[in-house]
Amino acid sequence: AHGTAPIVDPAELLSRIAEQKDRQALAELFRLLAPRLKSMMLKLGADSALAEDLVQETLLAVWRKAHLYSPERGAPVTWIFTIARNLRIDQLRRLSNKPYEDLDGIDATDDTPTGLQVVEQQQMVSRVKSALETLPDDQRQVVKLSFLNDMTHSDISAALGIPLGTVKSRLRLAYGRLRPVLEDLQ
Amino acid sequence: MSVVHHPDITTLMAFSAGTLDEPYALVISTHLAMCAACREQIKRIDLIGGALLDAEEEVPVEDDAVDRLFARLDTPKEAGDTINVIPKVRDVPAPLVRYLPDGLDAAPWKARGGGVWTCDLPVSANAQSRLMLLKVGAGRAVPEHGHGGHELTLILKGAYKDRFGRFGPGDIADHDQDVDHQPIAEMGEDCICLVAVDAKLNFRSRIMKLLQPFIGM
Ligand SMILES: [Zn+2]
Ligand SMILES: [Zn+2]
Repeated sequence: AHGTAPIVDPAELLSRIAEQKDRQALAELFRLLAPRLKSMMLKLGADSALAEDLVQETLLAVWRKAHLYSPERGAPVTWIFTIARNLRIDQLRRLSNKPYEDLDGIDATDDTPTGLQVVEQQQMVSRVKSALETLPDDQRQVVKLSFLNDMTHSDISAALGIPLGTVKSRLRLAYGRLRPVLEDLQ
Repeated sequence: MSVVHHPDITTLMAFSAGTLDEPYALVISTHLAMCAACREQIKRIDLIGGALLDAEEEVPVEDDAVDRLFARLDTPKEAGDTINVIPKVRDVPAPLVRYLPDGLDAAPWKARGGGVWTCDLPVSANAQSRLMLLKVGAGRAVPEHGHGGHELTLILKGAYKDRFGRFGPGDIADHDQDVDHQPIAEMGEDCICLVAVDAKLNFRSRIMKLLQPFIGM
């Protein structure tokens, strides 16, 4: 173990929200994640006001769905990333149907738990973070454009002036490099 | 369900990143509902997004942001429990129920001749691609054809064989452009697939054109 333990445990905040509708826990989660969520929303091309709004929507969804969270769903920050992603799809692209949200129920009844505890999940996030930093620049770039900037593979191909096949092969290589860390999830 | 054919890793990465157009996202969601292995795989890929969010720099939010959030918690409509309960529909995996509320048999199939039926499913107006059902009669062949763009085909019922192997329920054919094949439905049961295809390439008219010499239209 290295570094200092987090002062607040996001998973504990989530369970306080789920079980007691604890507003103080929501405020702490907001303080912890809102500035990073806002940065992410700005990368999507939202202006500051819209970014603030999407951050609010994200935390509101966290408030409503906290009871659906379990360690099987990954670290809290991973779960909250997927919530922010779904909101962004909904708000920025205005999809009428919700193929992502319809997976919520299926996931909740999944009988293949990973057996990982929240603490281990957060360690996984840290290791994936380090692994992302070791990616060659061209691979890290396409991963970030895809996951943070909401760009389709075709968008990335056009923006970087490289063939679609090259975008996909860089993503494939990036996944190959991250794979040992990601597949440690057993 | 023993799924043999899964989506390409880059397709799953796009799904996790949230950049797939609705029809493709729906085909992947439906596959995930049918495939435990890919549900696990998606959890791993989601870690990339989680790690990137964790690594984001911090941009200050407005001073009154928490107060505004709290004010919205007091609005029952906004703070209410909106978890949707999806009704169970026979033969239709949960993510597809919104699109096929009355089941596969009630779908407005259009006969295309040659033992092939299609049915367009309604997607949001700004979708860039099309979602459709394709039914190939037992033992019938779809004429050999290529793909002009990314095409995802998920088998819902029955099975077909082509040069890539046998595709049964839950299997997905994730084809990029320039792939030629000739699927032949197995005997005994109609093969029903859910297909997402680039809107610019009209799958149906391509199929129609291919079918014309066979059915003398
Ligand atoms: Zn699969
Ligand atoms: Zn085909």
